[in-house]
Amino acid sequence: MNRIYLCFISLSLLVFNLSCSESTASRRYWGKTEPPKENVLRYVSGSEPESLDPQIPTGQPEARILMALYDGLVEYHPKTMAPIPAIAERWEISPDGTEFIFYLRRNAKFSNGDPITAHDFVYTFRRGLDPELAAQNAYLAYEIKYAKAYNSREAFVRKENGEFLLRKDFETDLKEVNSVGFGPDTEFHRFINLPERLTVPLDEKDRQELIDKDPELKKAIEGKELVPVRAEDVGVEAIDDYTFRLKLAIPAPYFLDLLPHQFFRVVNKKVIEKYGKEWTRPENIVTSGAFKLLTHRPYDVLVVVKNSDYWDAENVSLDRIEFYSLEEQYTMMNLYKAGAVDATYNHTVPASWLDEIRQYKDEYLDHPEVTIEYYTFNVRRKPMDDVRVRKAFALAIDRFSLAKFRKTSKPLVDFTPEGIFPKYEEIRKRVYEQLLRESGISKQDWEKRYFDPERACRLMKEAGYQVENKANGRCEVKNFPIGEVALTYNTSESNKAVAEFIQAQWKQNLGITIPLRNMEWKTFLPTRKRLDYTGMTRAGWVGDYMDPNTFLKLFYGSDNDSGTGWYDPKFDKLLDQANSEVNPEKRFELMARAEFYMLQSQPVIPLMTASTNWLKKPYVKGLYPNPGTLHAWKFVYIERDPNKWDRDVDNIMKESDPIVEEKLARLQRSQIEFEKQRHGE
Amino acid sequence: MLYFVVRRLLIIIPTALLVVSVTWLLIRLAPGNFYISEKKLPKSVEENIRRKYGLDKPMSEQYLIMIKNVLRGDFGDSLKYQGQSVNEIIRRHLPYSATIGILAYLLALFVGLTAGILASLKQNSLLDYVSMAVAMLGISVPNFVLGPILVIIFALGLYLVPPARWGGIENLILPVVTLSAIYAAYIARLTRAGMLEVLRSDFIRTARAKGLDEKTILLKHALRGGIIPVVSFTGPALANLLAGTVVVEKIFAIPGLGNVFIQAVLNRDEPLVLGIVAFLSILIMLFNLLVDISYGFLDPRIRYS
Repeated sequence: MNRIYLCFISLSLLVFNLSCSESTASRRYWGKTEPPKENVLRYVSGSEPESLDPQIPTGQPEARILMALYDGLVEYHPKTMAPIPAIAERWEISPDGTEFIFYLRRNAKFSNGDPITAHDFVYTFRRGLDPELAAQNAYLAYEIKYAKAYNSREAFVRKENGEFLLRKDFETDLKEVNSVGFGPDTEFHRFINLPERLTVPLDEKDRQELIDKDPELKKAIEGKELVPVRAEDVGVEAIDDYTFRLKLAIPAPYFLDLLPHQFFRVVNKKVIEKYGKEWTRPENIVTSGAFKLLTHRPYDVLVVVKNSDYWDAENVSLDRIEFYSLEEQYTMMNLYKAGAVDATYNHTVPASWLDEIRQYKDEYLDHPEVTIEYYTFNVRRKPMDDVRVRKAFALAIDRFSLAKFRKTSKPLVDFTPEGIFPKYEEIRKRVYEQLLRESGISKQDWEKRYFDPERACRLMKEAGYQVENKANGRCEVKNFPIGEVALTYNTSESNKAVAEFIQAQWKQNLGITIPLRNMEWKTFLPTRKRLDYTGMTRAGWVGDYMDPNTFLKLFYGSDNDSGTGWYDPKFDKLLDQANSEVNPEKRFELMARAEFYMLQSQPVIPLMTASTNWLKKPYVKGLYPNPGTLHAWKFVYIERDPNKWDRDVDNIMKESDPIVEEKLARLQRSQIEFEKQRHGE
Repeated sequence: MLYFVVRRLLIIIPTALLVVSVTWLLIRLAPGNFYISEKKLPKSVEENIRRKYGLDKPMSEQYLIMIKNVLRGDFGDSLKYQGQSVNEIIRRHLPYSATIGILAYLLALFVGLTAGILASLKQNSLLDYVSMAVAMLGISVPNFVLGPILVIIFALGLYLVPPARWGGIENLILPVVTLSAIYAAYIARLTRAGMLEVLRSDFIRTARAKGLDEKTILLKHALRGGIIPVVSFTGPALANLLAGTVVVEKIFAIPGLGNVFIQAVLNRDEPLVLGIVAFLSILIMLFNLLVDISYGFLDPRIRYS
């Protein structure tokens, strides 16, 4: 019996020893750190990709894989995510900001050898918008003229004399800009630059709904012929084989930033038409990117290999990338530590391991990203319909402690993430100062908006609650209807931790204990969307592109996406004005005004700018924690000389890697020279 | 006997249909759907999706279409994984789960039967106590604890085997051992109990009185009756193992059916969930039938009429 006892003890000691000896950062690297023998990157990519059709999936795990397989007009800059030349060698934008002309390089090819031309881009854009495809990402292209109408099955209205009803006759403040004369004159160009036509739903029920609200419209379209909007009406055009033109309905300077998105990456018409929905199977698939598909074992691994026919093949360093589809954080940490993977996707280090992992300065990546976390209020239900109550709850959270508690995020009080749009932030600071003076808010109050329990208590008192003051500016609100409100979040360890932290803050500072409720993701989403909650819910938002508009538009329109029920036409107007402004500086000024205006009624409590949270081995170079953690794989390489490995990756974005810089310079030259030449004219 | 088998086989069809119908109803009652996400879709995009997947039709019609497809054995395409049929997905992922499951069960049978028989022969000896204590431990330690402990020791400490993923034989060792532990423990306890009962029965005494040697008594007479509890345990256990075990598949990143099933539920991937549920229910019923049939061979006292 004794012997067995001893065995048991020694076994538990062994486990204990192993876990302890590894938990101190006495070694420089975490676990086994040897570059793979081959020129391959082994990357954990998260959930199993929905589809390898770049126009279908919406998730980031898919985006990263599709970026390896497909190429677009432009590519993301590996550090800033700004667009850099890809298949389009250079481009120009019309002075009014509604037209883009792209000059394509002549040596771009699909993986089956077919040349990539402007016609392929026309096909790709039209296909993405085809209502039959039902792509969830189709809305990304809605700025293109008639794109929304085509995707929503709408129709033009033709009068008896053959002319069409125009939109400007029904919307008085519609500002239309026409860039006639920008680029070569073609028949399509003349058509697309005619004043914008009115479009109405083709579906009878939807149309009826619309005209019931608008008697004037009803009268105008009665008895007129409806002409369905076709793919050919959408504002995309191949001027010739290698010149592609886009026409937007509104000036949208941010549209170029959107174009590296996988939704706009080029697909092969011949293959899609031949195989239908089975075109993405490994035996059929034809791609356009730096890598092509080798094998795909679902829920396990997807392997891509370098495409030697790729136009920029000499710039592609890796021979192969293995994307592992697994989501279990502990499993991928084990694989990483055992040296079986070289890097993981974003948000993968478990919260409970952060203290330890953070010590590995050469491997752990903590950088701001274009993602925010916030709580929404249901502003349509009591007691959160009172802006004073909302403000009090927002002010009663100590955001600096929250950030410290969360370990990987930065405090946030505005709605656009901090440290992501430096130019915007600079202008916003100036605008805010001016607005503060105008609205008589003291600078002191303003600076304390990260945490101000005193003012929170005052506001609750003003809102008519019984408030008993306590030490340190805190108070106890007596008659708050706790039973009627709750803080609802989608089930996850970290959401729970944050919710409990904030619950404690409100308890400490206002004496109010808000009940917590958690819900499974797909149950939670409709609850928030339909405003089926009272009180607060958790929310997060990842920017679609690198512009503050991707955040502010959440509050745009009466049926907006904010999950709060808040809507204000004045905000919409400010945003409209901003987006029709061609001067970028003035545009940001107007956006800052819109942001300020919205936050004055506090429909949300911004909590933090998220930070990247992932690991890469020091020998993996050219892989950057950019704001969307979207990697342009052709810049990634494996460094075999330990002296050149990445050190202290907190500075990775500032340091320049000569190999990456050289590649970038070569790619960007065509556009830079082109712009110089144009300005010289 | 034949009548019994045919009747049981025929019952499987309506039962499976009932299971599928209830599952369908549950999915429809659950909030959310396969395309909902953080980003609200424009109404037009949502309508395109609903039309494409026939969700704009009345519920009763959708139900009938579903049942018709199920009767034809065709569950259609997955909603989440475009262009992949449900049957294809099940066919693709079943072998992973089945490999691990069958290996784990074989290991469990070997370890469990050996331990159980030895324990019953030397009842109340040190061997009996130790093997039963270990079995108790095996039952009480859940595999999400056992798995990571094995990983820490053998994959991250000694670097003997890979910590996860599908691959060579070395990748199979940890998941198979983890998965088999609890089954081995159950089998050991069941065997011991069954054997103890049989060894005390009259016909064993008769066999001894006939002067048969212990080996023959044990293997020819006692074992057949003694493992009946193990056999009835085997049916559902094997069905479960074949269908994939979520926890072990998650811990070791095995692309098995359990992993796919959980993901399908979270994605609200209706055809895939229905397909796997139907497959599982039929599998469990078939295994139970096999178990019932095997009783007749093992124990002459059991007869079907």
